[in-house]
Amino acid sequence: MADKKVGVLACSGEECLGGTISRLATRRVMEKLRPNRTVTLCLPLYIAGGEEERNFAKEYPVIAVEGCSKHCSTCATEKYSGKVHDIVDVAAILGEDVALAKTVSARELTEKHQDMVKIISREICAKMDAIAGA
Amino acid sequence: MGKTYAVLPCNGLDKCAGCVTREIALQLSAKTDNEIICPVFYRVAEARYNRLAQEKPLLVIDGCATRCASKLAAEKRLKITERLNVSDYAKEENVTLGAGLSLDADALGLVRRAVTKLLNDSEKDNARQMSEVDDFFPSSLDYEIYKKDKFIFRLPTNEGFYFNENDVWAYVSGNRARVGVTDYVQKSLSDIMFFTPPAIGAEIVQFDELGVMESGKAIWEIISPVSGVVTAINEKLINAPEMLNQNPYEQGWVAEIDLTDFDEDSDLLHVFDGYMSILKRKVDEYRVKD
Repeated sequence: MADKKVGVLACSGEECLGGTISRLATRRVMEKLRPNRTVTLCLPLYIAGGEEERNFAKEYPVIAVEGCSKHCSTCATEKYSGKVHDIVDVAAILGEDVALAKTVSARELTEKHQDMVKIISREICAKMDAIAGA
Repeated sequence: MGKTYAVLPCNGLDKCAGCVTREIALQLSAKTDNEIICPVFYRVAEARYNRLAQEKPLLVIDGCATRCASKLAAEKRLKITERLNVSDYAKEENVTLGAGLSLDADALGLVRRAVTKLLNDSEKDNARQMSEVDDFFPSSLDYEIYKKDKFIFRLPTNEGFYFNENDVWAYVSGNRARVGVTDYVQKSLSDIMFFTPPAIGAEIVQFDELGVMESGKAIWEIISPVSGVVTAINEKLINAPEMLNQNPYEQGWVAEIDLTDFDEDSDLLHVFDGYMSILKRKVDEYRVKD
């Protein structure tokens, strides 16, 4: 089960910083922390996409990474594909004030932002490992 | 930057180009009063952005050929004022975007140039709009001719003309198109006696009917080459449909349309060379039947 692939779906939102953190944390997991076990989809494509994307939650246990309480990723997954297995909620972990702050571009990212990304990516990994160990 | 946009990036997360769209949108909004529409949240909560998308000119930034942002705009029936496809722009700039999602120096350079370009284009656009009334359509057209027996078929060679296989042309500039029929139609119908225009404000999907023409020989539906909203009709044709016979490319134009998704429409259209071959074949077959 250790190599069980898990779907990680970031909200990638532009409404607030939480969306940016969700996006960067998912990328960190996918590129660095669990590169061979992470399957992701681009959420805008997922929503606009065809049947092959619609099987995502049926083929993989999905962890939705939400920037804020709107839970766009969970809503989209449950509307188009199936139940999400777990949720990482940036607002719940880092606080609503942080999650709802203004979104930032790549060149405005500070060390503090990077630390936030690390916290969320660790949380994603913990949930992935829990799924793998189940 | 005089003009401010509502910016709709695709915000993709599976290709570097998607990450570039996001970065361009953020840098544009940091430099000016542009406001970003989140493509995901827009689908979930339409009301959040509807007013913004209707009040401000819309800039759509797609990452790749899937064009998720353009498709979203078309789905919401938004009028696109400006668009940028990052993959195409990267090719123009000779930049190879990396396989990873991190923005390297080349990608960040591309972002910087795209932002500068869009800001400059916007300034030029403002100046153009100040002077623009009917500069939209070329003041004179260049034609190439195909002659068969005594019949002469003209086809405009100017850039911006597109044709469907139903013998209808669209001249496209920015987000606007003028539509009419080709010489093949008016010569096949012979003397056109009646013209029924489409309704102004009608929402047309590519290949929908865009008015009807009638001659002594036949009734002929004009099949729209583009999707969009009809903004003007050539009212002169109602009382003088013979203008369609005289010159269907200039004074005999049919309607003007604000385009909703020309990128997608263009997949099913021909430019001059492609349609000229079709025209020749049709003319040859038509004469053989005679």
